[in-house]
Amino acid sequence: MAEKKIAVRSQDPNQRRVLDSATRQRRLTRQLDALEKDNFQDDPHASLPQLVKRLPQFDESNESGKRRKKTRGDHFKQRFRKNFQTLLEEEDLSVSEGPNYLTACAEPSKFPQRHFCAVCGFPSNYTCVSCGARYCCVRCLGTHHETRCLKWTV
Amino acid sequence: MSTLVLDNGACFAKIGYSHEKVSVIPNCQFRSKTSRLKTFTANQLDEIKDPSGLFFILPFQKGYLVNWDVQRKVWDHLFGKDMFKVDFADTNIVITEPYFNFSSIQDTMNEILFEEYQFQSALRINAGSLSAHRYFHENNSELCCIVVDSGFSFTHIVPYCRGRKMKEGICRINVGGKLLSNHLKEIISYRQLHVMDETYVINQVKEDVCYVSQNFYKDMEIAQLKGEDNTVMRDYVLPDFSSIKKGFCKPREEMNFTGKYKTGEQILRLTNERFAVPEMLFHPSDIGIQEMGIPEALVNSINNMPEEMQPHFYKNIVLTGGNTLFPGFRDRVYKEVRALAPVEYQVSVVLPQNPICYPWEGGKLLAENPDFEEMVVTREDYEENGHYVCEEKFDI
Repeated sequence: MAEKKIAVRSQDPNQRRVLDSATRQRRLTRQLDALEKDNFQDDPHASLPQLVKRLPQFDESNESGKRRKKTRGDHFKQRFRKNFQTLLEEEDLSVSEGPNYLTACAEPSKFPQRHFCAVCGFPSNYTCVSCGARYCCVRCLGTHHETRCLKWTV
Repeated sequence: MSTLVLDNGACFAKIGYSHEKVSVIPNCQFRSKTSRLKTFTANQLDEIKDPSGLFFILPFQKGYLVNWDVQRKVWDHLFGKDMFKVDFADTNIVITEPYFNFSSIQDTMNEILFEEYQFQSALRINAGSLSAHRYFHENNSELCCIVVDSGFSFTHIVPYCRGRKMKEGICRINVGGKLLSNHLKEIISYRQLHVMDETYVINQVKEDVCYVSQNFYKDMEIAQLKGEDNTVMRDYVLPDFSSIKKGFCKPREEMNFTGKYKTGEQILRLTNERFAVPEMLFHPSDIGIQEMGIPEALVNSINNMPEEMQPHFYKNIVLTGGNTLFPGFRDRVYKEVRALAPVEYQVSVVLPQNPICYPWEGGKLLAENPDFEEMVVTREDYEENGHYVCEEKFDI
């Protein structure tokens, strides 16, 4: 047990690098953006060849075929494949007056931020020197160093 | 001349004729690893035998409708002969939109409703306005109410006065059911079992096991105890889709606190995740989102309103949306708002019987309202005047 403690400490001054606050902020933003994703795996249909995909659609398009003319379909596909960011920019809200999507966003809280251990989730008191993650006890720090610290840095 | 009421949400579409009952149907398409050729639409979800690693295709992004391909496919299925068998020339439609919807999306929706589907007339409205309408219908004497709509993509806090929304008071917190499920997936994947692909299963876990704690730090202390004293801890049995079709929470009597379980089921042991995940609605700063939580934003929003109206808003707080179904949500909101509100005002928080379908019921009442005819835009109107008439009439 004593050996393990020494091993962690001796790494600190020589080999472990310390991330600055800009990098930490970028990591945090990346984590938050990842929370907005719909799916974390790839589309199961993505690798199938085009030809196979045509087959089942034949049944579906039979019902609504009369309504959807071919040119209309393509026109829609061109116009309406924009993502959220593009639409938001198109709105050009900075020039409009009055309340809008951007002003409606909630302001930062007046209460101080609470911190939780990245490993076990209980309230934490300490910060990892290298990457800024929170931990509650030395055991969690050990787990953190072994698994997540400085992996996948931006 | 029938009216179809469609509450077009990012997760579920609540749809039904105004003279019939409402159906809650997923508003997206699914793809499964096992049945490789077919894409399932909306309620065809029940046909999937193995919902593990289910791939979702949602038309909404951050709460706004961006992917019209998918949305039209879902609507085709809903309006078609399998489901509601809509006779377009003879039907009015009441359809909901998010707040501050972009004008390009509004225009597109007009086009699709009138030119592609050719509804007789349409009414586009915010879901919260339907909730407010329903609330005022029940409580005739009240003049103002404030609606908290906590859904899949975000949470909106909207004050209403005499049936009109007050734009200056609208507050949006970017925390919704999707964020809570994704966060739960991340922490379970780090601490116990890799479940990042299992959106459907973890959503079920969240709904079964999570609750809102009334006293956060005390619950944290209890969750750290060992063995029988830890009343917070629960074991959740994951489905394997052969013998166990649907996951469930093990009752406390069967729980094995000391050793491991003998049976071959996959178990998740949840302690502080149970209440730390819904806590994000009250403190988004817990994971780093620098925004106010629901109670603080409520008080902030009411303080932006004229002084005479403030006591009326405190007396009429209405909670709607899927996230309000967490056990203990209403009591916690009441406790926090009571603590932040001035002592002379009376605070009352209402959680309806069915928060998910509350706006739909408002739409049903609206369709039966004698003023309904003047609020809608008919197809002839649209064809003569174009988008302009919709912008004028609909208060989005």
